[in-house]
Amino acid sequence: MAKGRHWVAVWLVAFLVTTWLVYARQTAAIRAAGELADLRARRANMDGHRADLERRIRAAEGRAVLVPRAQARLGLHLPSDSEIVLVPAPSGSR
Amino acid sequence: MARPAVRIQVVEFGVLVGLALLVGRAAQVQILHGRRWAEEAQAQRTERIVLQARRGALYDRHGTPLAVTQETYHVGIAPNELRDPAADGALISRRLGLTARAWQQALRRRYAYFAGPYSALEVQPLRSVRGVHLESVLNRFYPDPAVARATIGRVGDDVLGASGLERTLDSLLAGRSGAAVVLKDRAGREYESPARVIAPPVPGLDVVLTLDAELQEIAQRALDDALRRMDADGGDVVMLDPGTGEVLALASRQRDGSARPSAFTDTFEPGSLAKIFAAAALLSLRRVSPTDHVSGEGGKWRVLGRTITDEDPQPSLTMADAIRVSSNIAIAKFAARLTPAEQYATLRDFGFGAFTGIEFPAEATGRLRPPSEWTRPSAASLAMGYELSVTPIQVAMAYGALANDGLLLQPTLIREVRSASGGVRYRHRPEPVRRVVSREVAVALRNLLRGVVEHGTGAEAALTNFPVAAKTGTARRVVNGRYAAGEYTASFAALFPADQPQLVLVVKIDNPHKGSYFAAQTAAPVTRSMLEQALAARTVALDRARLSTAAPHAAAAPVDDDGGLVPYVVPWPYQPDSAGVGPRRAVPDVAGFGMREAVRTLHRRGFRVSLRGWGVAEHTWPAAGDSAAAGSMVTLFADPHAADRLRSRGAAAPRRGSRR
Repeated sequence: MAKGRHWVAVWLVAFLVTTWLVYARQTAAIRAAGELADLRARRANMDGHRADLERRIRAAEGRAVLVPRAQARLGLHLPSDSEIVLVPAPSGSR
Repeated sequence: MARPAVRIQVVEFGVLVGLALLVGRAAQVQILHGRRWAEEAQAQRTERIVLQARRGALYDRHGTPLAVTQETYHVGIAPNELRDPAADGALISRRLGLTARAWQQALRRRYAYFAGPYSALEVQPLRSVRGVHLESVLNRFYPDPAVARATIGRVGDDVLGASGLERTLDSLLAGRSGAAVVLKDRAGREYESPARVIAPPVPGLDVVLTLDAELQEIAQRALDDALRRMDADGGDVVMLDPGTGEVLALASRQRDGSARPSAFTDTFEPGSLAKIFAAAALLSLRRVSPTDHVSGEGGKWRVLGRTITDEDPQPSLTMADAIRVSSNIAIAKFAARLTPAEQYATLRDFGFGAFTGIEFPAEATGRLRPPSEWTRPSAASLAMGYELSVTPIQVAMAYGALANDGLLLQPTLIREVRSASGGVRYRHRPEPVRRVVSREVAVALRNLLRGVVEHGTGAEAALTNFPVAAKTGTARRVVNGRYAAGEYTASFAALFPADQPQLVLVVKIDNPHKGSYFAAQTAAPVTRSMLEQALAARTVALDRARLSTAAPHAAAAPVDDDGGLVPYVVPWPYQPDSAGVGPRRAVPDVAGFGMREAVRTLHRRGFRVSLRGWGVAEHTWPAAGDSAAAGSMVTLFADPHAADRLRSRGAAAPRRGSRR
């Protein structure tokens, strides 16, 4: 009888350990999935932030913004071609 | 009453029958209907989902993103799950831009859904709010929506190309969706990450366009200003590189502000722009010599029952004079030396009446009738640019052939196609269509066009230091099949510089109402303005080293000769965009480096860095060992699993500074 009880106990412990392992593994997987989703969200957020910054930089660098400001604040103007100096290549340099 | 033994037997029999029924039912459920129940159970616990593929990006020729794909969100609200409806409601309303009334309506529903789409930035504070459910969806994003809108096109609600290049390139850009199985909990809510990926999504290819974002902006602004100033119905600007056929800028605008791709789809009679093609036929076939003169007829010539007039009457004209002052009478007289077949073949060879073959979903061929359909005045009309309809892109390519020493190229909008990992799948090479005229004839024709700017109708486009070759064209407009009184199309085609042209510009102004309607006073100054802006813009695709040798033809203005204004000095040697801006040097091998170290290494070597992906550096474009100009952009591709791949290839990975 004692031997039989031990077997029952061993099987019970084995069952509990196996169940606990499955449970722990599932829990870890779900937690990892949550963390992964969180990282993806953070990455998407940063991508969005980058795109927003790029859009603002593009807008600020655009001629529609830059030219009027340069004219108004700094007194600059779009140069005519006579004001653009291209230094000719020295002979034999190329 | 039965004996106990009998009662026991009855009970035993009953139990046996019960057990048999149970086993039978179990067998029915497990064996006969097992597959159906298993499928039903799986359906309750799992769901097959589609993994959207990232749509490839569109870049301009310098790598400026024109269309990219971003993760956006639809937002669902379950009001009964909100912990603090008042505070949460205020936050949600603020982030989603809802009015108080809209929020109150949402609260009355069991589940409110806001399609948005909302950006990751907008929904970030809502992620931690209980009762808010985010559904991510990939969406198309145009960093500067106004740039080349008609050319780039748009995607539809199904994120497939609906118009423009988005449509033409859809098969390249779209990628292939994947599939995955996700687990659901008892309440039917999906777990956050797929349990099993059946097929990973394959991202679309990235496409580098030939467009130059800065030239495009110059063209759009110049066209907008011109239309406003002249109160015109619309207009188009085309700029292209004649040596490669690459279209650098395309701007189209209508009076109502809309921007349909009329440079490809709308035809017009080119008027005097076409005179140079009659001259091309005459010179190629040696039907005219430089000393040949024809009478100017006092500015009015009646022929074949039709009166031809000149705006600037001359007593007698050579071919050069005919082009310079845009004489209808002289070109009609010279063109009479050609047979209809010769005249038709020349126009056809320059690409009129046929598709150019550009990668755009809609393109008009224009109209060039075969000689069998001509009337008696057709030869004279065609020489003057009538009885012929063309698109601005056709005109640009035809003038491009003159700039390209007589070789007509196929125009293109696509410079490169790259895979998501950065590998180049396709790179454009100039595609000759045919030789239209010999090199000598092309040079002679360019000289004729140069005379137009130096002493003729195109003087308003002249630059002080750079020779320009161009032709004006002012043609009556056809409205409902008839020439409309007082309505004109002013057009201008220019080659810059006149020697070894780097840029072909075509400007078309539809029906200018204010001021002059002549191209000499409308389209020519717009061309000059765009050229000056292009010269002053450092990133524009012009080879300034070659320009510097073209410049000394005219005496440069003294540096301090303009009221003390400081001139804009372009650094020399200037390298074209493809070559970068500094001396060439080898790209270092950063494969296996951590991102930070890889970027530092490239910076130390003098390169700018554009990042693709994250994790461990895998490769660069240009590749390690290739030479690239200092200051040019190197694209660094990284991947979290790059170290494993590099190790399997035998590289020492991860290397110094790598971070996992």
